[in-house]
Amino acid sequence: MGKSKPIEIFTPPNMLKAKAGGTGLGLDAAALKRAEAAMEELKTEFAEWMNADVEKLVEGRNAFAKDPCADTHGRLYRASHDLKGQALTFEHPVVARMAASLCKLLDGAINTPLLLVDAHVNAIRILARQNVRDVSDPTTNAVAAELEAQVREIQAA
Amino acid sequence: MSGYRFDRLKILVVDDNQHMRKLVVAILQAFGTTQIYEASNGTRALALMREAPDVVILDWMMDEMNGIEFTREVRTSPASPNPYVPIIMLTGHTSAECVQQARDAGINEFLAKPVSVKAMLARLTAVIEYPRPFVRTKVYFGPCRRRRHRDDYKGLERRSEFEIVDRVAS
Repeated sequence: MGKSKPIEIFTPPNMLKAKAGGTGLGLDAAALKRAEAAMEELKTEFAEWMNADVEKLVEGRNAFAKDPCADTHGRLYRASHDLKGQALTFEHPVVARMAASLCKLLDGAINTPLLLVDAHVNAIRILARQNVRDVSDPTTNAVAAELEAQVREIQAA
Repeated sequence: MSGYRFDRLKILVVDDNQHMRKLVVAILQAFGTTQIYEASNGTRALALMREAPDVVILDWMMDEMNGIEFTREVRTSPASPNPYVPIIMLTGHTSAECVQQARDAGINEFLAKPVSVKAMLARLTAVIEYPRPFVRTKVYFGPCRRRRHRDDYKGLERRSEFEIVDRVAS
């Protein structure tokens, strides 16, 4: 077999290192400390941010319920996916778990059962409103497990 | 202590969620970065590539142009101002399949949500200290997708039928 077009492997000049300097010895402890403090300050805003993200999810749900098409399905999927990542960052692990389950449900055909979408969205709204963050809470775990089981069942069908 | 001059770097933050942008920007500012550009989608981010950012921190899922499409455009478009710019993808997509897809598009580093200060600093340190060599093939242009030097690679040699040309870009 003849040779195809060659693969070229090359190392571009490291302009970033030239600009940033540094010793390269481990993480910058001072920068780390400053950023941790900035993150702590921002945590006072996390509740408001969570509510805004949940509201976006509800809007996505309403648009999908009104007109279940690829566009609204995609919008709802993106909102649930955003919430999955954001809720963890904003220290709402239970909401993140429910959002992950909703993501899984929506990650496929657009004929997603609205009742199951609603079950997820309503649970997320309540958890966010009541500021439920305890991952060991038996009631929340039971609800999450049930939602996840129903999603698995639908995906297996 | 590494003592990086983050104040010398220009960083582009691309995320359609304004709260995530605010969080990432706050972390970068605490590191010392002052030249931070923000975009809410890939299309706007492409326009901001003219500002010559040194690093791009990029979300995956966005309207108009998502993170994967943006990365392909930066790496392969003849109009791209800097096809070598380090791109750190910040996303909740963490499955092996998604990581592979992001690597195939040409991202340098992957940062999974939730965002943590330590992980962010670690990825920035990685792109500064351990830049990946670039690979150009018929179907791919971007950072080498293998984590280790190819002499250590034990997997299937997908490049064996090709001539491998090593050079340092001048």
